[in-house]
Amino acid sequence: MTSGWPVIDPLHAWNIATAMVVAAGCGLVGSLLVVRRMSLLGDAISHAVLPGIVLAVIAGGRPGGGLVMLGAVAAAVLTAWLTAGLTAGAGVAEDAGTGVAFTTLFALGVVLVSAFASRVDLDASCVLYGELELAAFDTVSVAGWEVPRGFMIGGLVLVGVVVAMAVTWKEQVFAAFDPAAARAAGVPVAMLSLGLLAATAVTTVAGFGVAGAVLVVALLVVPAATAELLVDRLHRLAILAAVIGMLAAAIGYLAAWRLNTSAAGMIAVVLGGGYVLAVLVAPGDGLLARVCSASALRWRVAREDRLASMWREAEGTAGGGSAGPLAWLATRALTIEGAVERSAGRWRLTAAGRSRAETIVRSHRLWEAWLGRNVELPLDHLHPPAEWVEHHIGRGVRERLAAEVGEQAGDPHGRAIPPESARHRAGDG
Amino acid sequence: MILATLLTYNTIVVAAAVGAVGLAAGMVGALAVLRRRALAGDAAAHGTLAGVALAFLATGRRELPWLLLGGLATALVTLAALVFIRRWTRTRDDAATALVLGVSFGVGVALVTGITARGLPDSAGLEQFLLGHTAAVTATDAALLAACAVGAAALVVLGLKEATLVAFDDAFAAAAGWPVAVIDLALVGLVAVMVVVGLPAAGAVLVTALLVIPPVAARQWTERVPSLVTLSAVIGAGAALAGVVVSGLVPRLATGPVVVLACAAVCAVSVLAAPERGWLARRRRARWADAAWRESRILAALAAERPVAGDAADNALLRRLIATGLAEPATAGFRLTVAGRERAVEQARRRAAWEAILVVAPDDARAFLTMEVPDPATVIDPARHAEITRLSRTTP
Amino acid sequence: MTDSAGSGDAAAGPVVEFHDVTVAYSGRPVLWNVDLVITGPAVFGIVGPNGAGKSTLLKAALGLVPLAGGSIRFDGAPLAAVRHLVGYVPQRETVDWGFPVSVMDVVLMGTYGRVGWFRRPGHREREWSAECLRRVGLADLAGRQIGRLSGGQQQRVFLARALAQRARIYLLDEPMAGVDAGSQEMIFGVLDGLRAEGRLIIVVHHDLRSAASWFDGVALIDMRLVAAGPTASVLTPKNLRRTYAGQPTVLEELSRAVATGGRTP
Repeated sequence: MTSGWPVIDPLHAWNIATAMVVAAGCGLVGSLLVVRRMSLLGDAISHAVLPGIVLAVIAGGRPGGGLVMLGAVAAAVLTAWLTAGLTAGAGVAEDAGTGVAFTTLFALGVVLVSAFASRVDLDASCVLYGELELAAFDTVSVAGWEVPRGFMIGGLVLVGVVVAMAVTWKEQVFAAFDPAAARAAGVPVAMLSLGLLAATAVTTVAGFGVAGAVLVVALLVVPAATAELLVDRLHRLAILAAVIGMLAAAIGYLAAWRLNTSAAGMIAVVLGGGYVLAVLVAPGDGLLARVCSASALRWRVAREDRLASMWREAEGTAGGGSAGPLAWLATRALTIEGAVERSAGRWRLTAAGRSRAETIVRSHRLWEAWLGRNVELPLDHLHPPAEWVEHHIGRGVRERLAAEVGEQAGDPHGRAIPPESARHRAGDG
Repeated sequence: MILATLLTYNTIVVAAAVGAVGLAAGMVGALAVLRRRALAGDAAAHGTLAGVALAFLATGRRELPWLLLGGLATALVTLAALVFIRRWTRTRDDAATALVLGVSFGVGVALVTGITARGLPDSAGLEQFLLGHTAAVTATDAALLAACAVGAAALVVLGLKEATLVAFDDAFAAAAGWPVAVIDLALVGLVAVMVVVGLPAAGAVLVTALLVIPPVAARQWTERVPSLVTLSAVIGAGAALAGVVVSGLVPRLATGPVVVLACAAVCAVSVLAAPERGWLARRRRARWADAAWRESRILAALAAERPVAGDAADNALLRRLIATGLAEPATAGFRLTVAGRERAVEQARRRAAWEAILVVAPDDARAFLTMEVPDPATVIDPARHAEITRLSRTTP
Repeated sequence: MTDSAGSGDAAAGPVVEFHDVTVAYSGRPVLWNVDLVITGPAVFGIVGPNGAGKSTLLKAALGLVPLAGGSIRFDGAPLAAVRHLVGYVPQRETVDWGFPVSVMDVVLMGTYGRVGWFRRPGHREREWSAECLRRVGLADLAGRQIGRLSGGQQQRVFLARALAQRARIYLLDEPMAGVDAGSQEMIFGVLDGLRAEGRLIIVVHHDLRSAASWFDGVALIDMRLVAAGPTASVLTPKNLRRTYAGQPTVLEELSRAVATGGRTP
């Protein structure tokens, strides 16, 4: 552990592999939790399985063994049942009901751990952080190979989850999208929900050793929430969530090793970083995409405004140029585009620029004319909407407006509407 | 002996302070639960750990005021992240809460583990902020906690009317000119403060319980906000005190879980046994309603000399009708006695009366008609009932 | 209606029978002894004021809310026996339209009942679903995420899903709520087509104004059944007064419209 990359060391490689199989299982289950709006139940279950696990261990179960899995599933069902009882039976809001159920069960688990500390091989820090760093030391023998117990359990859980999801996939999607119609069509929605609860409990148990009670929720929810920003079909979402989980597990482990800190914590941090990245770069409604399209629009508007104002100046209906850095930049850009030229110390429109400007002014005045005719607005209220709408009117709408208000009429302020230009730029159609 | 160990000056001061924290948390929590902000507090609570660790790194000492200030800072950052995600992404609210909670806790865990692994002096105690431990709290710290708690409680009392209004109907509040965003911000700020002040008592993982469970328990006993806040405060204070005492007696037992279990016990009793909203009372009412409904159906069937084609519950009810002298065995099945016929006629009258009310005053019918089919005159306000009767006479 | 009706007899029209149906939420009746027999082929409206229990009647029929008393039979059989013959179109607001599925995925859900467990819908189901999408005029949007459709288009996707089910009896819950006029026309066109094929279509409808012109038969419901039968004989001023006592203007407009066979404004 002194130098070089930890991957070379088989112990680290096993730890990373363990984290990856667990993360993959969590990502798959989490994708259903997220789209069914059951993330908080996932959070609750990851806390609430603790007493189930502790009781099972006290009763003689082995960590990750069948009895412990059973205890965890029982605790998960109890959580869901308590939450439903508080919400439906006692009229408590859903989030508050969840809060009551999981804090109570988790507290019970912690007290049990404290009370039976001598008999239970769990302590508070293991419960809270997991012990991924030690995963490779606890091995079982499989066909002559020494395989870490955590990897075995995680692998079996992953296989189980993949099989269960593949087999019930179309019913899961139906039940998740439209539970009422699914029930009406005979899909056993309640059974599927119960199955999802059980799967959450089992993956949580597998995740306990890797990430601890609290950070399992990051493994469950964050990959799916990230994937949801990037794709819009459920099967892609599930697969992407598994991949994101696995990547984050590997990167987080290596980062923790480099920084000498908790692997579980770093995996959560890496997952959070991944989510932030997705928020920024997601196609369509990612922040960067929104900022880009908004600035592209602003830039086009600035240049078109500049052209229109120069055209009006030449017409003699508006004086003075626009000021400000954006207008200055727009003028420079228009010069490069060949729409504007400088002669005798003044900016002037070229022929191409005039044609573009006329299109904009035509849109503006047609819209004013149409508004003036069809909407009862005072004269001085016509300009502001037109000033904005002019940038969004294409040729087709211009023709319809012109047909309705008539070419010769002029705008409501009595100015002529310039004719439709013969030349059109691609972006103006 | 036990009393002697309990009753040191420090213990008493700390217990009093933690009791005050429980009290204030119950009050703030009542508003947070009403406003559906219960689990936002949980996200903030998990976010405190990073701030505690950062404050320790910055000051190099484990002094409670600085650590709590650090915790407050990151709790607010966590809440801001939550608001940002809800506003700017299409991630759903529940996923956003779980995500922020998990990631911010991960940051905290990574920081705390990193600090502990580097063996900085005094760093081992940081883990006490996970599950709460009042043993290390000094009298000076306790005074700070108590002061914060009293301040928060005073703010709740001052802003009770506004918070109630916003929680009940924020659209109306906004339309009426109340600064909903400011009130919400103040509420969330209070939640963050309580989460931080509650850290020594309950720890980052469980402090939510102090905010959530007492109001849920109190809600079962009352329908009014002021009494809800009061009761919630009492439950919170009691549970916090119980936590301090019990964890003081049992070595190595963290305070947080005990506090939570004490809250949960009160909550369980409330949810089960509260007189109006409690589960037992609801169940009893539902049974009465079902029995009354079945009885009216059976009486109507017997009165019309139709066979009672019912299930086991119907048969049990039929036996009871016979036992109470309303029905009797006849040659073919059963028939009504004179008393039974009277009862059937009365029920038919009530039914007809409700149908008439449904025509002229549907809102009253929906508000007062229950499955027992009570006599309208006994459940509707007399003046209103007279008006409805007049209306149904004039309506053809 | 006698017991011999329906029960697998494909030649007879589809029938839904409500016997003494009572539904209660927390001790309060929502539906009160509703007795109603609807025979097809027909487009049948269930009409009544807000909160009258119309949607609850459909949900009760589909087993989505428990009955406090009574029974419901489809073609003489309980729902469990004929589930695949009953198609349901829930209210549009009940689902999350941001859900990551495509239009085609949603329509395919209609075929799941026939495909059965563990198997994926194959080529035949895909073609049939595409055909159903064509019938509601959305063939070219099959690959789109469902959130990127207009309200009327979303409702038509739901209708296509019900079509894909090849049911005998369709139950539609407020299909016209928040739907543009063009989509409304198209939806009723599709429903007319289904009736021509011999199906029974039961539509919960909030808007009395259009009920008169679109339905063959109507049931007026306000907690209890007020009247049921052919539209013209049910939407009489007297029945309407019994149902909409609190809304005199609607009432007057409506009785005039029904009397003249026209429509209200």
